Amino acid sequence: MTVKRVRFIQELLRFVGLEGRVHLEWISSAEAGKFVQVVTEFTETIRRLGPNPIQRTVRPFKASGPRRLGTSSAPSEAETDAESSEEPAAASHL
Amino acid sequence: MTETQGVNAMECKLVPSICSYCGTGCGVLFEVIDGKLQGTMPMKSHPVNEGKLCIKGWHLHEHINSFMRLKSPLIKNNGRFEKATWDEAIQTTAQRLSSVVERHGPDSVGVLVSAKITNEENYLAQKFARACIGTNNVDHCARL
Amino acid sequence: MIQQIKSWLEDATVDIFIGYRDVDGHAVPHGYTADRLEELGNWTVGTHRYPLETFALHLARIHPEATIGLLGRDCNQRALNVLSVWNQLHADRIRVLSLSCCPSALKTRADCSYLVPRKSGSFKHQVGVDAEMEAAELEALPSGERWARWAYEFQKCIKCYGCRDICPVCFCAECSLESDELVGTGKLPPEVPIFHLVRATHMAGRCVDCGLCEEACPADIPLRLLYRKVNAIVEDLFGYQTGSDTAQPPLSVLGDRVELEPLPMEKTG
Repeated sequence: MTVKRVRFIQELLRFVGLEGRVHLEWISSAEAGKFVQVVTEFTETIRRLGPNPIQRTVRPFKASGPRRLGTSSAPSEAETDAESSEEPAAASHL
Repeated sequence: MTETQGVNAMECKLVPSICSYCGTGCGVLFEVIDGKLQGTMPMKSHPVNEGKLCIKGWHLHEHINSFMRLKSPLIKNNGRFEKATWDEAIQTTAQRLSSVVERHGPDSVGVLVSAKITNEENYLAQKFARACIGTNNVDHCARL
Repeated sequence: MIQQIKSWLEDATVDIFIGYRDVDGHAVPHGYTADRLEELGNWTVGTHRYPLETFALHLARIHPEATIGLLGRDCNQRALNVLSVWNQLHADRIRVLSLSCCPSALKTRADCSYLVPRKSGSFKHQVGVDAEMEAAELEALPSGERWARWAYEFQKCIKCYGCRDICPVCFCAECSLESDELVGTGKLPPEVPIFHLVRATHMAGRCVDCGLCEEACPADIPLRLLYRKVNAIVEDLFGYQTGSDTAQPPLSVLGDRVELEPLPMEKTG
């Protein structure tokens, strides 16, 4: 059951672009060496993947008071635009 | 309709209505089974919301059957709420309001009306505020 | 069709038949019964779809002994299959009258709201995920961009729970999306991407690809595309076709032996 769920989650995360961040390995309590090796490798993998992209792309919703109509066209759109043009760069950084 | 009438008496229908939470006026369908409200669906063919609703609209049916719903007025006596009849409640409200207006002037009263009552009732409420009490302090919970 | 329903109701093949009636030009779901046959005069079929099986489910919970007739499009039929696999409805207490839908080369006429292609604006094309996209098209993009596009979509969520509430196969009494530990309360947008991915995960082995969630989404999030991928994963990994399979879904049974291997660690550099 675990492997079924983990494989499903791995595929789903790949689809939304967050792959490589879930790993499953069977290690017995007697296999200390394997444990150390897997954890070290996975830590390295995660480090190479870079910081969590969720925190970078997702901003908390801020109730910034009433938005004035008429002042320079839709500030929210401009913000999101800047965000998206920043993304490909972030992707190569990954 | 009661349960004793058996299978033949069962009823399942959807009743079109308008969401009462705000001034947008989204079309909703109330799911009525055996005369009891069971759920809410957005009305797909309604020109205003085109089959979409917000979280409040989706849960319109919940307050109707809620056990927390007040079904009679309560009057606070000696720090405790007590059940009262509508006549008593209206009498008390009228007395207290007129004594407040007498002592502090009409602008010490504000009337806050609601989206959950009809347009006509809202009209009456502002009429009450302006004509009976004599204040322009009228506002609405769903000024969009 | 009306004759068929009439005879079903008269000879008590069904106790109630759930179809649509015309209310001032709107097709509104309605349960027809034998003691109110005259209502069939208002019978109508529009292009708008409602989860009729949800009403049948609510009816069956109150009247477990009743036989319920249902006007069924292909998606309704698949949802009924899933509901019976999950022991929510008894297949022998349900009769379905099929309705022409999901057109093909042989059958061009269909009554379905999904046939009108939706058009997205250029901004959504640029930064978001277009509902008309294929999963493969999206997978061809680099993963960083894919995430940015999905994040753009998920952030629009206003947490109306419409996708869950309209879903014909969401029958749980208790929903994980309402658990404080998984999805925090009082924040908008709901925790990205937890809210949508938790729902997507629970759709594994359940989603019947009816598209009602996407239709009901006020934020225009391409949910159908996401759940289509969920279905594709379930089919690829477990060979399970949701809606047409009568076997228990792969994530609710343990199985006899382990056939899957976890993915190896990715050596990205």
